[in-house]
Amino acid sequence: MPRREVAMIYFTEIQNLPAYDVMGAYLGRVADLGIDPNQNALRVAAYLVEAPDRKLLYVSREQMQSITVRSAQTSVTRDRISSNLPPGDLLRVRKDVLDQQVIDVDHRKVVRVNDVDLEIQPTNGHTELRVLAVNVGLASAVRRLLQGVTAKHTSRKICNFIPSRTIPWEFVNLIEPDASRRLKLRISYERLARLHPADIADILEELSRDEQRSVIEALDHETAAQAISEIPTEMQAQLLQSIPVEKAADIVEEMAPDEAADVLQELPSETSAKLLAGMEEEGAQEVKELLGFEEDTAGALMTTHYIALDVTASVENVIEAMKEFEGSLESIHSIYLIDKEELLMGSAPLARILLAPALTPLRELSRDEVQSVPTEADAKEVIDLFRKYNLLSLPVVDDKQHLVGVVTADDVLDLVVGRR
Amino acid sequence: MDRKRLADFRTRLLIFLAVVGPGIITANVDNDPGGIYTYSVAGAKFGYSLLWTLVPVTIALIVVQEMVARMGVVTGKGLADLIREEYGFRATFILMVCLLVADLGNTISEFAGLASGMSVFGASRYIIVPLGAVLVWALVVKGSYRFVEKVFLVACIFYIAYPISCFLAHPAWKESVVSVFRPTVESGHGYLFMIIGLVGTTIAPWMQFYLQSAVVEKGIKLKEYVYSRWDVIVGCVITDVVAFFIIVACAATLYASGHREIQSAADAALALRPLAGHAATALFAFGLVNAALLSACILPLATAYYVCEGLGLESGINKRVEEAPTFYWLYTGLIVVGALAVVVLREQMQVPIILFSQVVNGIMLPFVLIFMLRLSNRQDLMGEHRNTRTFNVIAWITCVVMIGLTVLLLGSQFFHGMPV
Repeated sequence: MPRREVAMIYFTEIQNLPAYDVMGAYLGRVADLGIDPNQNALRVAAYLVEAPDRKLLYVSREQMQSITVRSAQTSVTRDRISSNLPPGDLLRVRKDVLDQQVIDVDHRKVVRVNDVDLEIQPTNGHTELRVLAVNVGLASAVRRLLQGVTAKHTSRKICNFIPSRTIPWEFVNLIEPDASRRLKLRISYERLARLHPADIADILEELSRDEQRSVIEALDHETAAQAISEIPTEMQAQLLQSIPVEKAADIVEEMAPDEAADVLQELPSETSAKLLAGMEEEGAQEVKELLGFEEDTAGALMTTHYIALDVTASVENVIEAMKEFEGSLESIHSIYLIDKEELLMGSAPLARILLAPALTPLRELSRDEVQSVPTEADAKEVIDLFRKYNLLSLPVVDDKQHLVGVVTADDVLDLVVGRR
Repeated sequence: MDRKRLADFRTRLLIFLAVVGPGIITANVDNDPGGIYTYSVAGAKFGYSLLWTLVPVTIALIVVQEMVARMGVVTGKGLADLIREEYGFRATFILMVCLLVADLGNTISEFAGLASGMSVFGASRYIIVPLGAVLVWALVVKGSYRFVEKVFLVACIFYIAYPISCFLAHPAWKESVVSVFRPTVESGHGYLFMIIGLVGTTIAPWMQFYLQSAVVEKGIKLKEYVYSRWDVIVGCVITDVVAFFIIVACAATLYASGHREIQSAADAALALRPLAGHAATALFAFGLVNAALLSACILPLATAYYVCEGLGLESGINKRVEEAPTFYWLYTGLIVVGALAVVVLREQMQVPIILFSQVVNGIMLPFVLIFMLRLSNRQDLMGEHRNTRTFNVIAWITCVVMIGLTVLLLGSQFFHGMPV
């Protein structure tokens, strides 16, 4: 969309702009712009003008006659301009956006705002400003340094030679830790919530504790659980302690049992007991079993979410079992075979199941010798087996050869590479 | 009953040990080679008579450090972040550029200290300085935050070298302890300048940024703040206890024997030899090397952190080089330039650079202190944890005195060229 240069104005050019009333009387200098997200999230609803006596005047959007880089002029006289805050909260460009951290949902990272691009739009005899984008690049940094030092057109010329980076307003997610203010200003984390949980996790790591808390509280339990699983365990523990226990329990319940056990071990025993008490019986039981194992052993690494069928089952039973499975399906690589006593009897790879006729017994698809480790096997042993046999998952058995869990390749990868 | 109290005490001790770190490390880095030199000169020139200054210095240090630690815990944000959000881009930018210049000078003086300390053991600076630079660089780039913090804490323990070397010097214990609580004022320029030097080098701008970031990075919670405050208090006290032993060691030997002019901290170490023995010299020099390595590690790191933080660039040792290029270039650049300056430049050329960086430090200190005081009084940031009235009175007096002394120190350096 081609845009005439005059129609575009930076917030740095509007800040301290002299404002005059319709008679040409000096009102003061523009201090801030207010947006009322309940009416229109893109439009400037009020201009905060600081009078020479330091009092604030609120020029409403309909009262603004014209805006240029030189001055602003209202369409009414001084006495018609209110010095009271308009009802409802306003999103303030200088106070809430400029210099604050925001999330660039397009590039999936946290950035700090240097400047804001606005469009001057003549509408029904007055002038409106619309928010176009936020500026984060070098050019906007230079513009901030030159603000009030060089003439505005000179600044524009200089900054034209410098690479600039703008983020369109629709890709900007503001962060507001105060929940009631977030509601009033209609700041949602909707855009953020649509990102991949791993990207949300990266963003979480960049935020301060209150901001993290507000993001987690706004996400649904499942997304929150997935995102939290991707951040370092220490930070997980801090975060879970900062939100209400019920919410924390709901999130831990959605996490994979091994991840949940890891973070519960990091928490003070009192807190983790409270969380376990707040979880549903079944989920809590699974996690409790894992908590008994020593750190960095197969028992602590394994998940209890896996699919095991009776040794007599055939290929057609697999689909049924997968439909009923509650954990994450992506982590299923093999179907395990157990007998009546839950002894591990075999393991059928999903790929082979896929190609076999429906009535083939799973036992025929299993290798004769199934690799497994005891719960107390240390991490190094587990890694060695994964490497030697090119495994995607490895069953874990107790001292009587009962199947009790499965270690998956993603956990081993974390172990080898370290969680950064 | 007693057992319960014991268990209670143990829990508290455990929490304290988990929270401990930022305060103790920051305060110990204050005893960098420059600090050690200043204390040595104070002891050598004026004997025990300046020991009383350690009491007010400790109080001032505690007051200022407590304030930033509290801000870090309450807001969960670094000082550079807060200044940026409150005072805008330009103020932050100028502050960051000044800090960068000052810290480059400081880094040079840390490496100079390393060279000088190792010269006591007969090692060539052409080998030892590049080796130290590589060691410092690799530790931070390759290690995790927890690991690095442990190494730093161990380095803090090595300051024990000074008390031991002081014992070997057989000082007049009674006189030295009494001197701490008996302010004496001597006439003469030298004495006054020495006081200014002692007080003026205690509170450096970069420490405030480092401490607050370290508290935030550690994720200390409001509930644990009591322990964090003790971390700060213990750190400041230990620091000045170490200072006490350095001054006393030099007073008991150099001052007593009339060997009152020393050119460097290594000079002081060598001068101990005929009076207190080889072991005392070796310990003194070892302490110097340890201090140099510790501060050469922390200073460039802290600088890279807060410069990136303030300017909204990505930072952190858990990022890859491509993700946070400015951070890594700053960190590496500071170390390389700092070490190169010591290897390439002759000592006469290093001194003006170090002096200049002290001037920049001094000019910035008032701004940083006033920013801190205003931020920690903000209701919306600090809530119920903002400064109390009594605290404010003490803090403002501390700041005014610090600022006054710094101005005097700078003046003395400018007009008299006194290496205080």
